[in-house]
Amino acid sequence: MQLAAGVDVGSTQTKAVILAGDGEPRILARALVDTGAYVPRAAELAFHAACREAGLDPREIGMIVGTGYGRYRIAFGHAQVTEISCHARGAHFVFPETRTVIDIGGQDAKVIRVGSEGEVRDFVMNDKCAAGTGRFLANAAEVLGLDLEEIGPLSLRATDPVKLTTVCTVFVESDILSYLAQGRRPEDILRGVHLAIARRTVSLARRIPIEPAITFTGGVARNIGMVRALEEVLGLPIQVSPDSHFMGALGAALFALERLERYETSS
Amino acid sequence: MSEYRGWIHQRQKELMQQWYARLDESARTGWPPAICLMISGNCVEVLEAFGIVPIYPEVNALQLAIRHQSLEPILAAEELGYATDNCAYVKADIGAYLMGVTPTGGKLPRPALVLCNFVGCNTYIKWFEHVAAFLEAPLYVLDVPFLRSEEPSPADVAYVVAQLHEVVRRIEEITGLRFDMDRFREAVRCSQQVEELWSRIKHLAQRVPSPFDAYFDAITLMGPLYVHRARPEGVEFFRLALAELEAKAARGEGVYDREDFRVVIEGPPPYPYFRAFRDMFARWRATAVASTYSTVGGIWEFGFRHDPEKPFETVALHMLAHNLTNRNYLQRYDQIRRYVQQWRADGVIIHFVKSCRLFSAGQGDMRDYFTKVLGVPTLYIESDLEDPRYFAEAQIRNRVDAFFEALGRHKRAIAV
Repeated sequence: MQLAAGVDVGSTQTKAVILAGDGEPRILARALVDTGAYVPRAAELAFHAACREAGLDPREIGMIVGTGYGRYRIAFGHAQVTEISCHARGAHFVFPETRTVIDIGGQDAKVIRVGSEGEVRDFVMNDKCAAGTGRFLANAAEVLGLDLEEIGPLSLRATDPVKLTTVCTVFVESDILSYLAQGRRPEDILRGVHLAIARRTVSLARRIPIEPAITFTGGVARNIGMVRALEEVLGLPIQVSPDSHFMGALGAALFALERLERYETSS
Repeated sequence: MSEYRGWIHQRQKELMQQWYARLDESARTGWPPAICLMISGNCVEVLEAFGIVPIYPEVNALQLAIRHQSLEPILAAEELGYATDNCAYVKADIGAYLMGVTPTGGKLPRPALVLCNFVGCNTYIKWFEHVAAFLEAPLYVLDVPFLRSEEPSPADVAYVVAQLHEVVRRIEEITGLRFDMDRFREAVRCSQQVEELWSRIKHLAQRVPSPFDAYFDAITLMGPLYVHRARPEGVEFFRLALAELEAKAARGEGVYDREDFRVVIEGPPPYPYFRAFRDMFARWRATAVASTYSTVGGIWEFGFRHDPEKPFETVALHMLAHNLTNRNYLQRYDQIRRYVQQWRADGVIIHFVKSCRLFSAGQGDMRDYFTKVLGVPTLYIESDLEDPRYFAEAQIRNRVDAFFEALGRHKRAIAV
C-alpha cells in the first residue's frame, strides 16, 4: 500500500494528513497542533500525531510534502508545494465539481480559480496586512470576551447587524468598543464583523471570475457565521467539508501520493 | 541556482565607479560641472555636448537601496516631515543629502543646474524643486507634454525643441561654457549607436533559451545606458556586451542551465531585496525575456533612434514619445502584449510599487486585461522599489511559487 503525508504549517496551526493510495486515495488520519514559535517542531509533532492516529510508523510513509508558510522549515519533508496549489487540489478531491476555492486562514485570505482537474487557473490574495482574515475574527472575539468557537453561531442570532467601517485588524477593536458603548448587542456586532469580512473577500474574489461550485476552506470555514455571511454576500451557496481545516494538508498529501506513484512508475 | 555572471557585470561596475569618480572630482575641484537630470526620457546628450557630468538622483537612491542603506535616509526625510506615502526614491535622495551620505562614500557635487526633464510625474517636479532649494541651485523645469495620442504633434515637438534651446542658453549663462554643435552631434551619434546595440541585445532575448535576463541583467546594463550612452566608452561597452551575449546565444546558453519559464516583468524591482527577489525566479529557472522597467529611460527595441542629422528634434521625440513613463496606459498594455507575443513569454509578472502611485495605480486592471482578455497567466505582487519596510519575503515568495507551480502544470497540460 502506498502511504503519503501532507503537512501544512500555517501561521496559527499546523495540520497533517496521511493518505493511503492504491485506487481511490483514502484519508487514514489527521492531526492538528498550534504552530507556535518553533516551526520545525510543530511540523514534526503534527506528522507524528497523525502517524500515531493511523497506527503507522513514520518510516512507513513513502513521501511527505510540506505546504503553508512554514513549508521550507519542515526538516523531514521531501518536497514543498504552496498552499494555493494544495487547497485547490484538496478541495477538488473532496468536491470534484469545485471551480472556485475561498480559503481564509489565520493571516491571509485567498480566492483560487480551479480547473476541472483540480489545477490552479488563477488566484488572488489579500495584500500583506491581515485585514479580513482569521486574525480579525480572533481580535473581535477577544474584545467581546468570547471564545472563537462561539462567535459564528452567536452572529446568526443577530436581528440588526451593525455596519462596520473597517476591516483593519487593529482598528476593529475600537470600532467594537464604540458599538458596545452605544449599547449594541454582541450578536449584532458579530454579524457586522462577519459581513465585513465577507464583503472584503467577495470583492477580492470578483477580481477573478467566480464560477460555481464554490468551496470554502481553511480554519475560518469551520465558522458557520462566516459561511452564511459569504453566502449572503455572494448570493450563491458554498460548500464546506468537515475537513475544510485540513484541505491544505490533504492537497499536500495528494501531491505526495502523485509523486510517489510517478517515482514508482519510473523506477 | 546560480545564474549567468559575465564580463558585462564586471565592466558595468567599473563604468559606474568611473562615473562616481567624475562626480567626486566635480565636487572637489568644481570641474567638470554637474547637472541633475531625471532618468525618464533623459536628454543626457545635451549635457554631453558641454562635457557636463549628469547626476541622477534616482540612480543614487537605488544604489543606496541595493546596498541596504536606504532606510536611514528615508527615516531622516520622514523626520523632516515627508509622509510615509511619499515616493521613497525622493525620501532616500533628500535624506541622503541631509545626512551627507552617498552610495560610494565619495562626494556629490552641487549641481550647476537642476534640470527636471520629466513632468509626467508631479512628484518629480516637487523632488527637483526640493533638491534645488536644499542645494541652493538654479532650477529649470522642462515642460514635456504627456503623450496624448500615438505620436506627438509637430507643435509638441517644436515646443520641446524651443525649450531645449533655452536650456542650452541657460547652461551657457550659468557655466560660461559655449555650446558646441559638433560635439552635440557626436554625442547624439554615440547614443544612436548605443541604441542600435542595445536594441539588438534586447532582441537576443527572443531566442530560446534567452542568453540573458531582460530584467535583472538589463538593470545591470541600464547604468551605462543612462550615464554613458552619449559617450564613446558607452558605445564600446555595448559593442562588447552584444558580442558576449551573441556568443552565448550561438552556444545555446541560457541564463540558467535550463530555461523552464519565460516571463515579462512590469514595474521596477524591490532594490532593498534585489538578491532575494532574483532568487525567487532563479529557483524556478524563470528568465525575464522582456521588461518595461528597462524602457523607463528609452524604448529602442521598436526602432526609434536618435539622429545626429536632427539632434534637437530627436532628443525632443525621445523625451516625448519613446520612453515608458511619458506614454499612456494603453500603450503600456500594447508594449507588454508585444513582448508576450514576440518574445514568446509564458506569463507576466506585475510588481506594484507602494510608494509610486502614479505608475502603479491601474495595475489591477492591467492584470485583468492580461488574464481575462488575452488569457495570459499574470501574477500581481506588491512591495516597494526603495523602502525595505514594504517587502514581506514569505508572502511574495508564496505568490511567486504558486504562480510557477500553476504555470508548470499549465505548460505540461499544453504539451500533452
